[in-house]
Amino acid sequence: MKVGITTTVPVEVLYAAGVTPVDLNNIFVLGNSTKYMNYSEIEGFPRNLCACIKGIYGVAMLEDIDYIVGVTEGDCSNTKSLIEVWRSKGKKVILFGFPQKKQYQSMIEEINHLMDHFNVRLEAVDDMKRELYPIRQRVKYLDELTWKTNQATGFENHLWQVSCSDFNGDPKVFLNELEEAIQDIEGRKPFPSNEIRLGYIGVPPNISDLYHLVEENGGRIVFNEVQRAFTMAKETIDTNIFNMYLNFTYPYDLQGRLTEIKEEINNRRLDGIIHYTQSFCHRGIEDIIIKKSLKVPVLTIEGDYPEKGDARTKLRLESFIDMLKDLKE
Amino acid sequence: MKQLGIDIGSRAVKIACFKDDILIKTEIISTMKFYRDFSKMIDGEIHINLSQLGLSDYDNIISTGYGRNNLQIAGALIINELKAHVYGALCQTGEEDFTLLDIGGQDFKIIKVEKGIITDMLLNDKCAASSGRYLENMSNILEIPLDDLMKHYENPVNLNSTCAVFGESELIGEIAQGTPLSQLAAGINYALFKRIQPQLQKLRGRLLILAGGVAENEAIIHFLQQEDKHVIIPKYPQLNGAIGCCYLGFLKKGMKNNE
Repeated sequence: MKVGITTTVPVEVLYAAGVTPVDLNNIFVLGNSTKYMNYSEIEGFPRNLCACIKGIYGVAMLEDIDYIVGVTEGDCSNTKSLIEVWRSKGKKVILFGFPQKKQYQSMIEEINHLMDHFNVRLEAVDDMKRELYPIRQRVKYLDELTWKTNQATGFENHLWQVSCSDFNGDPKVFLNELEEAIQDIEGRKPFPSNEIRLGYIGVPPNISDLYHLVEENGGRIVFNEVQRAFTMAKETIDTNIFNMYLNFTYPYDLQGRLTEIKEEINNRRLDGIIHYTQSFCHRGIEDIIIKKSLKVPVLTIEGDYPEKGDARTKLRLESFIDMLKDLKE
Repeated sequence: MKQLGIDIGSRAVKIACFKDDILIKTEIISTMKFYRDFSKMIDGEIHINLSQLGLSDYDNIISTGYGRNNLQIAGALIINELKAHVYGALCQTGEEDFTLLDIGGQDFKIIKVEKGIITDMLLNDKCAASSGRYLENMSNILEIPLDDLMKHYENPVNLNSTCAVFGESELIGEIAQGTPLSQLAAGINYALFKRIQPQLQKLRGRLLILAGGVAENEAIIHFLQQEDKHVIIPKYPQLNGAIGCCYLGFLKKGMKNNE
């Protein structure tokens, strides 16, 4: 049975239940995104709505998805209305919310609700958490190959980390492919030491060639904030499942995210930040605080439908990196 | 150290020469004259006779501008035009967060700068209707010098047309109706302002820096200030790009610590 997820959820519960999680966002961005968008707009989704909502609606309706875990708190408030439409079309949706007050008891209730629905016990979930732990650590190693040894590209860093939301539906195959990628990266020469080191913050991009464009201009993204949060690799093997998802920064307040971002600006010696926002997304408002809180220059890039960067985005990236180079010299 | 900055614009070539951090010489020459009298073609590259301009004995040259791809001077570093203007504004005003509006002879640029770095920009496309060129054409029709045209902003006559060529016919219509010259001139300035204003709105910030030749236009400054904007005009608006080239030269030599 395939269970669609609208963002990262406690995937350990799903794997323990023997079902296959599918991150609907990944199918949308990597698949035939125009088809999914068109389908949703014909169904009546407004033009001035985040493309991701329309995309994942289309994926769940057009692909072979049996159930959906819809995240009602901590991700996107549009998801609530999206869930209403899915249900009206006969899709089965289970609700999950990241408790916004970050209370332990509330997290227990949320995860219990998921476990009850899929009929799994906490022991099985804990076993699955331990099984996934070494994979998460290997993704962390790939992250280090990006910012410590400077061998992995920004896109590789993005792709492997973002894929930790569902481990591509099969953790064993995921691990094998990951090991192959790591072996390949380890054999490479490092990127030049005078490159511009950038951090990427915000939701994963809909601009497919963003990482490539940065590298073409002599920069490299060596920190992917939200994607890294998806890996949960900072947790120890003994952190329980409830704390693990309470420590997850993405669905909670901006201050928690900013604390981590500031740490990584220092650790990874970042020269600047790219803040990506989706058109029509509430997270665009956070740009005001982000720009004020961070000391390094911040370039805000807005994307809409999945597509390549347009001429203006290219020129903006080029000028931004060019001036950072002058400063670095 | 002597640093030379050259900004080759569509209508004028601007040259700034710094000795250490003091501006010791400036030149503004028409682009036509610059190419005709001070340049020659050698093996398909344009070589510039700087000593003829009294500009020998410099340590370093950085150039930018419209013709930057054609310019080849031994040892010159050619830089991106947007960057040159931003460095000019950083150098001349000491500000780090602003919107820079540069209205030149043939185009305009709006550049957003945050923490001293370019984060966004809007450029006009091929049409020169929103540039100094428009003002030049219109002053020819009114048969008054450009300097006179730039003073008028009271009671502007309404010139609607987006196209500068159609704008000329509109202006002739107004002349025929006996509209006073001052109102015609004000109308021309206001029409230029109206074309730039919506673009400016997209990148507005708390502070606007106005540069380029048109920054000497009193009327444009008046209209911008009416928009409730804090407007700064650097001491040498037309030389801003050339000064920016010099500033980068100092930055690269480690003589400026990104002030």
